[in-house]
Amino acid sequence: MVIVISVVFCLMRLLPVEGYFGSRSDAMNEKVKQQVLTQLGLLDPWYTQLLKFWKNLILHGDMGKSIVYRTGVPNAEIIASKAGYSLGFGLAALILQKLIGLPLGVLMARFKGKFLDKLGSTYILLINAVPEAVYFLMIQLYVSDFFHWPMLHKAGNSMSYLLPVICLALGGIATDALWMRRYMVDEMNKDYILLARAKGMTSSAVSFKHVMRNAFVPMAQSLPTAIIFTISGSLYVESLFSIPGMGGLLVTAIQRQDNTLVQAMVLLFSAMSVGGLLLGDLTMMLCDPRIRLAGKKESR
Amino acid sequence: MEIAPGQRILSAENLVVKFNLRGQTLTALRSVTLDLYKGESLAIVGESGSGKSVFTKSFLGLLDNNGWIDQGHIYFDRDPAVHDYAESNRGVLYRMDLATFKRESEWLPVRGKRIAMIFQDPMTSLNPLRTIGKQIGEAYKLHHKCTAAEEKRRVLELLADVGIQDPEMRIKQYPHEFSGGMRQRVVIAIAMACNPEILICDEPTTALDVTIQAQILSLLKRLQREHQLTVVYITHDLGVVANVADRVAVMYAGDVVELGTCAEVFHDPRHPYTIALLLSLPQLGVRGEELYSIPGSPPNLFTEIRGDAFAARNVNALKADFVERPPYFAVSPTHKARTWLLDPRAPKVAPPPQLRNIKNLSHLRLDGGITK
Repeated sequence: MVIVISVVFCLMRLLPVEGYFGSRSDAMNEKVKQQVLTQLGLLDPWYTQLLKFWKNLILHGDMGKSIVYRTGVPNAEIIASKAGYSLGFGLAALILQKLIGLPLGVLMARFKGKFLDKLGSTYILLINAVPEAVYFLMIQLYVSDFFHWPMLHKAGNSMSYLLPVICLALGGIATDALWMRRYMVDEMNKDYILLARAKGMTSSAVSFKHVMRNAFVPMAQSLPTAIIFTISGSLYVESLFSIPGMGGLLVTAIQRQDNTLVQAMVLLFSAMSVGGLLLGDLTMMLCDPRIRLAGKKESR
Repeated sequence: MEIAPGQRILSAENLVVKFNLRGQTLTALRSVTLDLYKGESLAIVGESGSGKSVFTKSFLGLLDNNGWIDQGHIYFDRDPAVHDYAESNRGVLYRMDLATFKRESEWLPVRGKRIAMIFQDPMTSLNPLRTIGKQIGEAYKLHHKCTAAEEKRRVLELLADVGIQDPEMRIKQYPHEFSGGMRQRVVIAIAMACNPEILICDEPTTALDVTIQAQILSLLKRLQREHQLTVVYITHDLGVVANVADRVAVMYAGDVVELGTCAEVFHDPRHPYTIALLLSLPQLGVRGEELYSIPGSPPNLFTEIRGDAFAARNVNALKADFVERPPYFAVSPTHKARTWLLDPRAPKVAPPPQLRNIKNLSHLRLDGGITK
């Protein structure tokens, strides 16, 4: 994580300095430019800058202030104001996705080769084959028209939350159903499923007690990461429904060379991925008794 | 073991099992008839694909989804605990035909409770995510209403019975904390949970190393004795057969070609396939000479088989072997084989002299080999 942030920090410094002056670049003379740069501390050698950055971060929890995007506003504040939206929509979509995707996968596996399985597969294929942009747009245009729901997001209008959430969840439902079905089918062919049936268990009890839990374990690992990453938002859905979320922030920040904002976001995202992976492993450990953290009692 | 007629516990009659594979129909069992007697141990031997597993799985309704019982019957006594014997005295309901079972609900009271099964590989037959105690307890709980305490008591009892030390601690452990032999003991405990009448062991020792094999077999023998079990062993290890079986059924291409007591089949084999099978025992080989192997390969079960399925690989095959399926010829009251060679009109074929080397069955036991 430290390495990622430091590397991005240095890379940002390699960009041409013109970016820092924004549209006023042409109007400034050389002296003013130098002054701005000095003020920002950009003329110091790179290692001094890097050290200063880390010192502020660790000692004061300070992620710096935005230079261009919203000049002078602390980055933490900018991110916090946007992350709330993305987190809200993202979590809602994630819950919807798991609530529909996982049971769909389970049902598809149980009725493998039957109508329901084929219907589900068609859905998965469609979602993966058609570019998001196309079906998001169709949903926005036609569904909102059909139900007379607002096309754009408006704070306080509960109906306007629905479509973005559905859009966000559609792709995830397909992925979840696909993997859940696959893991279920894998599990169903295991010997212990046959043994469980030979004990005299009903096939629904077998699917529930033996197949589903075992199939869920590999799914569980990705869960924490998915939860955390709802923060980063979706560029497309957010711009389509004009939700002031995180989606476009990173792109904008890089384009406009708002170094400190980029750093703050990279810091956040890399912390999120590392944390997510760790949580994922911990979840796995809870679900699967065979997995233990190294250092603990080694089995067999 | 004394085999008293009339103590039949299960009998399969003209059982035909078919599978649908990629649009083609495969006949896995071609009219198998076999009786199982109370308290005996029967070994079913035969090469892979001869229908051994399919045959026993059909007793439990555990055929794969693409398989079905096409013809025939599997008669099994009704459960005296469930059914009223007054009814059975009227002669109608005493036996039920497992081959007619269609719904899962019909099978549930049989599976685990009356017929239990042990599978080949103990490494994969336990759910890795559930404790041993839960998995054994589950088998008991499915057929008995009981409190958690009763369930636990039964699990402890079972674990002790299959020879697992320190059951109190083991009960909370997961399968990966057990060795292969221990896991097979756990699988046996699961099978024994409801005191079944028939125990089917599908290659119970194939996945284990030799010393553990011996332990597991003696465990199975002890359990059989103590609980008056009827045990069916499926195996291709003739050493195991010699060690545990009272009777042997030799299967080839979906049919029982020879059936007899252990001694009869080993010392006086009549079907050419049985003879060939015994000849290929490595213990009969002479140092420096190539070991015997059966020429050719088993017939294609997708096509209908005419005559004796083994005829094409049999050097002594008669013309009749290619035309008509041989009936069973009785050699003794307990020994019969399906080959035209036993017909009174058939020429006498002397058994290969090497077979005389199988003098003492005990030498065959457990890879001891035949010592000179």
